[in-house]
Amino acid sequence: MLAREMIAAIATPPGRGGIGIVRISGTGLEAMLRGLVGRVPAPRMAELSDFCDADGTAIDRGIVIYFPSPRSMTGEDVVELQGHGGPVVMDALLERACQLGARIARPGEFTERAFLNDKIDLAQAEAVADLIDSASTRAARAAMRSLDGEFSARVTEIDRAVLDLRVFLEAAIDFAEEEIDFLADSDAVERIRAVEGRIERLAIESRRGEALREGLDVVIAGQPNAGKSSLLNRLLAENRAIVTDVPGTTRDLLRADIEIEGVPIRLTDTAGLRAGGGRVETIGVERARTAIAQADLVLAVEDATAVAPGGTTASESLGDVAASRIRVRNKVDLTGEKPGDGGGVIRISALKGDGVDVLRAVIAKIAGVAPGEGAYLARKRHLNALRAASDRCAAARERLSEGFGDLAAEELRQVQAHLGDIVGTTTVDDLLGEIFSTFCIGK
Amino acid sequence: MDHPQQFDVIVIGGGHAGTEAALASARVGANTLLLTQSIETIGQMSCNPAIGGIGKSHLVREIDALGGAMAQATDRAGIQFRTLNSRKGPAVRATRAQADRVLYRNAIRSAVEHCDNLAVFQQSVVDLDIEGDRVRGVVTQMGLRFEARCVVLTTGTFLGGRIHVGLQHQPGGRAGDAPSNALAERLRALPLRVDRLKTGTPPRIDGRTVDFGVMEVQSSEEPRPTMSMLSTPDVHPRQVPCHITHTNARTHEIIRSALDRSPMFTGAIEGVGPRYCPSIEDKVVRFAERPAHQVFVEPEGLETHELYPNGISTSLPFDVQLDAVRSIAGFEGAHVTRPGYAIEYDFFDPRDLDPSLQTRCIEGLYFAGQINGTTGYEEAAAQGLLAGLNAARAVAGEDPWCPERYEAYIGVLVDDLVTLGVTEPYRMFTSRAEYRLRLRQDNADQRLTAQGRALGLVDDVRWSAYTAKKRELERGTAVLAGVVAVPGSDLAGAVVDATDEPIEKPVSLFDILKRPGVDVVGLVGALRAHGIAVEEPVVSQLEIDAKYQGYLQRQDEEIARVKANEGVTLRPDFDYRGISGLSNELKDKLAVRQPATIAQAARIPGVTPAALSLLLVHAKRDAGEQRRA
Repeated sequence: MLAREMIAAIATPPGRGGIGIVRISGTGLEAMLRGLVGRVPAPRMAELSDFCDADGTAIDRGIVIYFPSPRSMTGEDVVELQGHGGPVVMDALLERACQLGARIARPGEFTERAFLNDKIDLAQAEAVADLIDSASTRAARAAMRSLDGEFSARVTEIDRAVLDLRVFLEAAIDFAEEEIDFLADSDAVERIRAVEGRIERLAIESRRGEALREGLDVVIAGQPNAGKSSLLNRLLAENRAIVTDVPGTTRDLLRADIEIEGVPIRLTDTAGLRAGGGRVETIGVERARTAIAQADLVLAVEDATAVAPGGTTASESLGDVAASRIRVRNKVDLTGEKPGDGGGVIRISALKGDGVDVLRAVIAKIAGVAPGEGAYLARKRHLNALRAASDRCAAARERLSEGFGDLAAEELRQVQAHLGDIVGTTTVDDLLGEIFSTFCIGK
Repeated sequence: MDHPQQFDVIVIGGGHAGTEAALASARVGANTLLLTQSIETIGQMSCNPAIGGIGKSHLVREIDALGGAMAQATDRAGIQFRTLNSRKGPAVRATRAQADRVLYRNAIRSAVEHCDNLAVFQQSVVDLDIEGDRVRGVVTQMGLRFEARCVVLTTGTFLGGRIHVGLQHQPGGRAGDAPSNALAERLRALPLRVDRLKTGTPPRIDGRTVDFGVMEVQSSEEPRPTMSMLSTPDVHPRQVPCHITHTNARTHEIIRSALDRSPMFTGAIEGVGPRYCPSIEDKVVRFAERPAHQVFVEPEGLETHELYPNGISTSLPFDVQLDAVRSIAGFEGAHVTRPGYAIEYDFFDPRDLDPSLQTRCIEGLYFAGQINGTTGYEEAAAQGLLAGLNAARAVAGEDPWCPERYEAYIGVLVDDLVTLGVTEPYRMFTSRAEYRLRLRQDNADQRLTAQGRALGLVDDVRWSAYTAKKRELERGTAVLAGVVAVPGSDLAGAVVDATDEPIEKPVSLFDILKRPGVDVVGLVGALRAHGIAVEEPVVSQLEIDAKYQGYLQRQDEEIARVKANEGVTLRPDFDYRGISGLSNELKDKLAVRQPATIAQAARIPGVTPAALSLLLVHAKRDAGEQRRA
């Protein structure tokens, strides 16, 4: 079996479940186990243990199971840590795993490895491919949402600055005899320091952004007066565990965090979708469309009194939306339609509460099976990549001041690789092309 | 008539690719014939009289480690040696030599003439004997037919060569030599993609008419580096300096006013020239803000006054060349001995080759050198060696030897060619090698000599020199790893003096070498005073190994992944359109490039990690279906 780098992820759905599982897969897990639980447990035996931090203090106490290769989920060595659920403990365990050499798994990566090691039937290839694809899309969306809105734009800018630096360093290496205005090493060190500062600032700002938005993003959308706000209020009123009740950042988006069957749900109520309103309303509609574009799930609400059961639906007026959607037909208490699920439509009365339990069950089902990683993991992965990029910048400066331009160039290549991990592009760039268009080269 | 002798391998062309191909083929035991238009020009340096340089000396050292002739010939012909990038780290450090053309040619010809299993014949080849999809031999100008199992074509710029000076042009393979048009026609009939490239040379100058006093002098470096692992500076001939001068505003004005008579700017030349080696007219136009451009004045040899002014290659009309040359400081009274010219030539898309450099469509037919779209003696020689070796191995029924990108620059070169193709004459740069930290010129012998020996390329002399050096390094490693400097001890005190850094806890001497700024000479002296005998070259080599260790280990993981991906093949007719989740742009790229493995796909720009995952999954399913079918 091929030696594979260790990857780690939280394997249980987001939320405050009683038990949370962190799963680690890869080669060399014995050292990881010794660091975490102080020993290598017997294969495939559940053992009670403390999960320890670097200084030996317990992060949590729970069950550890070690599945040596090949008899494991991925076919590689796998460790499962079953601890107390909840974001703080899970975060600490994941952080510790990374400290011990794992990196946070890309969306779908466990499944991918399982497939490549023949743990999943070939017939399931299509499903695996779809999972990787949709999980990546969803994770990217989740991360962008959880981080500052300009996050990826800023990463791209920094990436460009690193590329510019590499152009100088690589040109100085490959065209040493040309009369190019090469950066003096001391200037290059300063410029690397500046890039490092930008990466660190971005990491700090992203870290102290609003609290993690975990769980499913559900947007309520539809025509004006379809009863969207009533639905929001109904879902809030029935929810005993309201976490917060945040007024929207805009006057026309209203947000609230609720839980349905333990899964955190972030609800957003939007302005009614219609063209030709006033300027303020137009802005509201634009924002609604943005929210819809970023959502995991859209509740497309229609007014049963205004739309015939087979008429143009709110769902269709949404246009092309990536997220799953549920068609919700409201005000059935006025039309006499029978509340509940039928024919791809959920009929409710937000006012009376009829049929809302059915809607909640459907939302919970979708939340439970939503593929891929949530915003938390995506964001954690990105912050780790930023940290790694900034560490490499520091190393690049050191190597350069020691007179190892080749090692400094290697460090900067790695900086770009880490930044590329965040924005999802490869950094196999046309470095030579950049050099030729920047400098006059030619002996 | 049929020539009565039969050969295993015929190499066509006596340039840098051809000679290394013939030598490699003969060395591993194939009965080899070198066919050339002219025995006098075997080993001729057609362009500038220098060998090596950044990225290029890396190739030369690899050729040397594999028993090739280029490095030792350069040592016998080099009249000025320099180390480049000496302050930028060992991985990008390089050696460059100015070579006396006559001495170099003689050294190569001598190597060819003293090689067993190798015959030479002078005659232009006009036809290939191809039966079905297999090469059978070649036919020369006078109708002489040679039979062979494999044929290596190394025709340089001679295929469809056309020389431009100003708006005049004429057929030619090199100034003064006829092109190989019949062969070009024959090859164009094969199912190979063909295109045109362009390169150029500067006017040459009579040194007796040059005022060197106004130029910067660049002398050989002392102690002198050598190109070959087997050489010492004693084999070098007399050393002479190079000079540096500059173009100026008047030069640029002369050139600008004559652009309407430039074949480059009037469109008479269709071939694409290299961006890193532009003509002077190109530089003046593209970098108009530059007040001056460097000109390296390189001696052509010890027995001639002719000079090669590197940096002003041009295809402008001769009257403009003369005016432009004479506007340059030191060249005011210069006599031009040969006009500069541009040459356009046919090359074949190297993506039609497999990694052994055999054409995909004709079994037994190999291409090496400029015919594959590369430029440079070193790039040509490296390909020649590989093609000659693999042709001989094919004759013997053995698998080809194709070094990987993490093993050798030769691997990078060939992989770039056969997977990415070329859009301009391809030259090696260290930045093309993602694993350049391990592909150093200082360790080329350690990377490749053992493989070369196993392939039959390395003779006993080289092998024993290599094994002796290896033993010394192993002994040195053991000694340094075994001696621990304890804080406060005499030894630690002496070591601190040599490294300028305190010793706070016990540390092995090998780990000491990882520290920045170790004074190796001082350290060796300090150790000797304490009865620890290690040689300075050994410690210098170990210092590099120690400093790079961490980086190389990190790269090992990357290499392991690449290796795994090399093992996952993609059929040429693989249906990329059917993979949902790939962008249309990527689907197009993959369909056009047809990567043979996942590792090759990963190197295509724009292929993201997610896309690679999708490809892996689909490739595996595809393989499963193929097995069932």
